[in-house]
Amino acid sequence: MLEIPEGEWGKNTTAVKVENLEKDYGKVKALKGITFEVREGEIFGLIGPNGAGKSTTLKILATLLRPSGGRAEVFGHDVVNDADKVRGIISYLPEEAGAYKNLTGLEYLQFMARLYAKDEAKAREMVELGIKIADLGERIRDKVSTYSKGMTRKLLLARALMVMPRLAILDEPASGLDIINAYTIRKTIKRFAGEKGVTFLISSHNMLEVEFLCDRVALINEGRIIEIGTPKELKEKYSAENLEEVFMKAIGAGV
Amino acid sequence: MSDFWVLAMKEIKNLLRDKKLVFGLIIVPLVIYPALGKTMQMGIEKAQGTTHVAIVNLDSGRYGEVLVKALQSTPNVSVVVLNATTLEEAIREASLKKQNVLVVIPANFSESIESGNPATVEVFGIFWKITSGIKESVSEARINTVISVLSEEIARIKVAKLGAKNPDAVLHPVRAVSMSVVKGRIINVPPAVVSSVLASQAYGLPLIVFLMVTITAQMAAGAIASEKENKTLETLLTLPVRRTTIVASKISGTALMGLIASLAYMIGLKSYIGSMGFQTGVSPETLGLEMTPTGMFLFALVIFLTIVFSLSLAMVLAVFAEDVQSANTVVSSVILPLAFPAFVLMFTDLEELPAMAKYGLLADPFTHPIVAYRYALGAEYGQLMWSALYLGIIAGATLYLTARIFSSEKLLTAKISWGKRKR
Repeated sequence: MLEIPEGEWGKNTTAVKVENLEKDYGKVKALKGITFEVREGEIFGLIGPNGAGKSTTLKILATLLRPSGGRAEVFGHDVVNDADKVRGIISYLPEEAGAYKNLTGLEYLQFMARLYAKDEAKAREMVELGIKIADLGERIRDKVSTYSKGMTRKLLLARALMVMPRLAILDEPASGLDIINAYTIRKTIKRFAGEKGVTFLISSHNMLEVEFLCDRVALINEGRIIEIGTPKELKEKYSAENLEEVFMKAIGAGV
Repeated sequence: MSDFWVLAMKEIKNLLRDKKLVFGLIIVPLVIYPALGKTMQMGIEKAQGTTHVAIVNLDSGRYGEVLVKALQSTPNVSVVVLNATTLEEAIREASLKKQNVLVVIPANFSESIESGNPATVEVFGIFWKITSGIKESVSEARINTVISVLSEEIARIKVAKLGAKNPDAVLHPVRAVSMSVVKGRIINVPPAVVSSVLASQAYGLPLIVFLMVTITAQMAAGAIASEKENKTLETLLTLPVRRTTIVASKISGTALMGLIASLAYMIGLKSYIGSMGFQTGVSPETLGLEMTPTGMFLFALVIFLTIVFSLSLAMVLAVFAEDVQSANTVVSSVILPLAFPAFVLMFTDLEELPAMAKYGLLADPFTHPIVAYRYALGAEYGQLMWSALYLGIIAGATLYLTARIFSSEKLLTAKISWGKRKR
């Protein structure tokens, strides 16, 4: 059983505040003014098809991209003007990510822990937690270049969670994982949120995953948010059996 | 450990574990170059081994016999006397016996000498297989030496017979004693030697600077591009680390590896060039061209600033590349043309160039390490400081630009793909 260290964050605070966020890539408008809030300790899901603007939103919140209009805050820090402060409290897992191939899994975790932890003891604690989350057994001592796609994904997720961020931004967390690994990872995310109050902002196009995982979801399509609510509320509103159906009805497509 | 060290250590670890990189940058120069040099040396030594000479003595007088004896007593020469009566027959026989050289002493050899006319000896190099020909030319040179010693000896006897008191003074009435003046000081070394010492410096340094700059630039570009290629960049940029720290650690990590690689190249090349007999046994110090600690410091500063410039330039360029392959292409196509003009300085001095060309060259940062070396040897510190100042400004500006780009989203959005596209 995984033991999660005591979190230091309280609840009932706004973790993420996004207002009229816009992003243009040249002539392409990826975000056309989206607004939503995520409360502390919540698992919030952004769902929508490919190219809807999910990854762009997450990248802006992770301080990688600058918005073309509107604003975004993480625990009261502006993602553009206070980027350094935001980076100190978040951890971001890109959809397509890799680890340094010539390092071993363990060395990768140690490298990351040292950048987050203030002292060596804290870093060791993080690495121990990371090893447990990654669950790679003895393979953790092998070079990352020898890992399968699923193993790398587990290592990266472990990296993102072991640092106990206030906000974890996960872009398609279970992408590339098999059923068993995806299930375990979802359980871990749920426990991190429930027991330790870590806030999660997750994107996915797997509606079942989102329904299992998320407290609230935002449906996003063509750069606009079309619905926000708990999975239950949304299913009732559209009298749908699952979120997939909700999404199709919400965008006005015949089901 | 500070963030900087954590990042720099990772950078170095990652580079040192890259087998291709370590092979290309350290093993190749340290093993392959000296091995190449050794092979060439062995070839030369082998060629300098015993020369097989076939002699046909068609002369019946005593001088022909003297020449045969002189050759027989020459070290590293084995003489086979052929009993041929014609040239064709002699050549056929010499070829059969695999001789390198055939010496033909004609019938009128002694007669010509005795009658006061110049005598002729025919020397044939026999190439019975098309190879480098070093063996044949070494052999010919040896025989020519023997013949000139012999001809000098005969001349001395003749001159003495004519009644000269000092035959040497008659044979060589004028003798040249050559010395050099280096920076106003007379040195008892012939100009040919001085110029070959200076030439070895002039050829060596631009080559080493060139290698150093291109190697470190490729590595810096690779360090950025591989973060993109392996999808580690986005994670790196969201870590709680200042962007300037990321840039500084990348530059330091690759600079260290670059220095190790340049050192390996320098050692390798030196032993390669050394084995080609480029050494004269005279060091720049004996010519009074010595670097003072001040000169050395300023020279090191110029080299350091040049590396910082080329590294940060390479990183800026790598931002626009999607993978390591395109990064290398972009960097080569910008750094190589910049580093190449410095080669002009192999053949000429900056001061001898027209003003336009001179300032054009000086605007190129990569000229400065070479010029600086000469200034440092000549203790011209004012010029060195100008170089350091200029490079300091250029390197600072590029570094600032790099840090700016790293703080923007350009790193993620700028894209040029040269060559193959991955996806």
